[in-house]
Amino acid sequence: MEPVALGQEPVTLSVRRAVLSALGPMERVGVALVLLITVVAALVPLIAPHGPYETVGLAYQSPAQHPLLGTDEVGRDLFSRLLYGLRSSWFSALVVVSAGAVIGLAIGLLAGVRGGWVDTVLMRITDAGLALPGPIIAIAVAVALGPSLIHTLIAVTVVWWPWYARIVRGETRAIVVRPHFDAARLAGVGRFRLAFRHVLPGALPAVVIAASVDLGYLVLTLAGLSFLGLGAPPPAPELGAMAYQGLDSLFSFPWIPLAPAFAVFVLAAAANMAGDGLRDLLEDV
Amino acid sequence: MQTDANDPRSVTAAEPATEGASRPVATVRGLHLRLPGGVHALRGVDLEIEAGEIVGLVGESGSGKTMLGLSLLGLAPAGARFEGEAWLAGTEMTAADSEARRLARREHAGAVFQDPMTSLNPTMKIGTQVGEAAASREAVVEALEQVGFPEPERRLGQYPHELSGGLRQRVMIAMAIARRPALVLLDEPTTALDVTLQRTTLKLLRGLRDELGVAMLFITHDLAVAAEIADRVAVLYAGRVAELGVPSAVFRHPSHPYTAGLLASRLALAGGDRDGELATLGGEPPDPRRLPPGCPFEPRCPFSREVCSLGLPALVPSPRHPGLDACVRAAEIAPELEAGAARALALAPPPVSSAPEPAPGVAALELRHVEKTFRSRRHEQRAVSDVSLTVPEGGALALVGESGCGKTTILRIAVALERAGGGAVELGPGGRPQMVFQDAGSSLTPWMTVRQLLDERVRTEGLGAAERSRRIDETLAWVGLSQEVATMRPSRLSGGQRQRVALARAVIVPPALLACDEPTSALDVSLAAVVINLLRRLRRELGVALLFVTHDLAVARAVAEEIAVMSAGRIVERGETDRVLREPQSEETRRLLEAVPSMERTWR
Ligand code: SF4
Repeated sequence: MEPVALGQEPVTLSVRRAVLSALGPMERVGVALVLLITVVAALVPLIAPHGPYETVGLAYQSPAQHPLLGTDEVGRDLFSRLLYGLRSSWFSALVVVSAGAVIGLAIGLLAGVRGGWVDTVLMRITDAGLALPGPIIAIAVAVALGPSLIHTLIAVTVVWWPWYARIVRGETRAIVVRPHFDAARLAGVGRFRLAFRHVLPGALPAVVIAASVDLGYLVLTLAGLSFLGLGAPPPAPELGAMAYQGLDSLFSFPWIPLAPAFAVFVLAAAANMAGDGLRDLLEDV
Repeated sequence: MQTDANDPRSVTAAEPATEGASRPVATVRGLHLRLPGGVHALRGVDLEIEAGEIVGLVGESGSGKTMLGLSLLGLAPAGARFEGEAWLAGTEMTAADSEARRLARREHAGAVFQDPMTSLNPTMKIGTQVGEAAASREAVVEALEQVGFPEPERRLGQYPHELSGGLRQRVMIAMAIARRPALVLLDEPTTALDVTLQRTTLKLLRGLRDELGVAMLFITHDLAVAAEIADRVAVLYAGRVAELGVPSAVFRHPSHPYTAGLLASRLALAGGDRDGELATLGGEPPDPRRLPPGCPFEPRCPFSREVCSLGLPALVPSPRHPGLDACVRAAEIAPELEAGAARALALAPPPVSSAPEPAPGVAALELRHVEKTFRSRRHEQRAVSDVSLTVPEGGALALVGESGCGKTTILRIAVALERAGGGAVELGPGGRPQMVFQDAGSSLTPWMTVRQLLDERVRTEGLGAAERSRRIDETLAWVGLSQEVATMRPSRLSGGQRQRVALARAVIVPPALLACDEPTSALDVSLAAVVINLLRRLRRELGVALLFVTHDLAVARAVAEEIAVMSAGRIVERGETDRVLREPQSEETRRLLEAVPSMERTWR
């Protein structure tokens, strides 16, 4: 080994380009897939051949008899239901992530900028939130309020935001000790503007990273809860619930439970790959 | 190996090395360096460094001095294209592959960079880091002993963050010399240090050169530092050598207008006056993307004529000293430069008590018995004890002292960024005090444009949009920035532009008190002079009072008629600046004064 000082190559002028090209093929596929999935999810009502509740023929038709994936146990078009399920899962995950991020941003920002007792109190609450066992809360909410997609989303958001609050608060603390924050204070900038113009943009990348990495995990969590009957009640098209209901036919008509399971897998994997890519990109630049 | 100042050939770079007596350890011939993005960083540099010789490389930022050093060590940025040669002890670094360059570096070179914290690995113990350069534990201890590192044996297990800035610097130097290299590159090694540490470091380096016979390439923007340490000095401008020779000759009899300009913008500890404008080099350091076809200094040169744009002036023997210069008019303008240099170096005694008695009456700032203690979970640190001071309305007070003496804390208390632990802080009438930070870049919110940053400040005045916009344009012009800058974010600005933007924001609504935290310490001499001139105009035209923190006595003298010297949280001496500098009463002031690198003293 040579001395550290000499080992360091000087900073190249094209860091950004270097990082972009360092984005591996997996991450690039992930980003492309995520964009594609979002577009498809938005357009489902236009591209699905049938409605999600529409009976189109006999039950248990094979893909050969009824393209693309045959029919389910009550004769609905499986492919259309899959698309609607994908739309519901994807948007649910996006809603939870966005709601969690917004709440987390607000609380983390407030705690970080105000400091003092406000910080202490908010972070205590956040830590309590972090300690909550997520799925159990979701089950409790579903039992108390009755199963519904909205209830599940609320329950998951409740256990999700504290992560973001922690991240934002950490970033905020790091930003408020930088000279530009002091300089803005001296310039007479009001509190709100201080928080939103001089701190928030600096904390945002970390949240975007966390949220994008979380997206895949949320798809899985929500599908799991729906599989357990804690999502929208049947006959709503939900990937988790569809997989559960199709379990009976696993050996006779394996595509009925496997197709929704596979869709969950694709969503989660794509989100994960994209999240990793985004993290590399934002952290290094 | 000292060069003979009277033999012009000894400084002629192209002279091939003959007899083993003075074999160069590094030779650069006709070196061009082009960086991706169209920057032509080096444009035909010739330089030779002999064994045991210290060559000073001076120039403003962007002059190519760092790139020259890095090229010699084979560390030029990826994508760099070379022409010409750069020999490091038998290896031609521009053509060698990365493995050969690494080997040459490992065998023959060492390097010390400006910021020891980022150059040291924070997760590695001192012993291990130096051990990567030295062969054995004994060698590590020896290297540390050579750089005067106290109790090396005991401290091998410490981490960089446990050491003071000065000791980290020594670790860096120990790593650089551990292998007994032929050449050590030092890139602004003392810029981040205060004067007393700077002095110790320079002494240490000279000692190492004498003891080990290692040659050094010493990059600095401080002419006095170069004068103090270097055997020969090369003045770089826009990727070319503008002047080359023995420092006492080059700086006493500069024959290139650029060298003369640099000298003139230097601040002295005596002489001159505080009200006029400092001589400055006009304009900013050159943009290496847009250079004139002829003499690169032509756009800023007060002596330029048509001949200057005919072609690149070659490095030829100087008419005024035994070195070389690259000015086609050097012989013609010699008398004028002579007069200018004499003025710049004059050590005229300052007029006694020229400053008007501060009008008894309103103070812009008054601190009475201010205390401040910082408490963390485990320990308490007293930063300021019993400090009382007054800045009269429109007056200027400089607070000087070594790093960590509490001067910045006082400043922050004065502008209410920090609350005093005890005592009273009273601000005079007028708007809220403003502050210019040491690192202008980090005091500008990175994701906001210059216009947004300024607008935010004027907005507090309750003006209409048109009026605000007019004020912004006016203020930008006042600090010497063009309108285009308004739409840019700080990352796109040069260091000098950032400092001007920071200043513009501080004065767009004229405050009664402006606090300045070392606003010039990171700037090239020419830019520092520009900033000081702006501060003087601010006082003259708007009657703004200044509280100015610095570790540079010459800067303190240039801006403030009153000075307070701090040491360990207390004010140890206070009074009229010229008197304090001429007849220092306290030990601390004397120490600071002695540490200031000075050409005059170096050559006495
Ligand atoms: S060549 Fe001309 S422009 Fe260049 S430094 Fe000399 S006088 Fe000035």
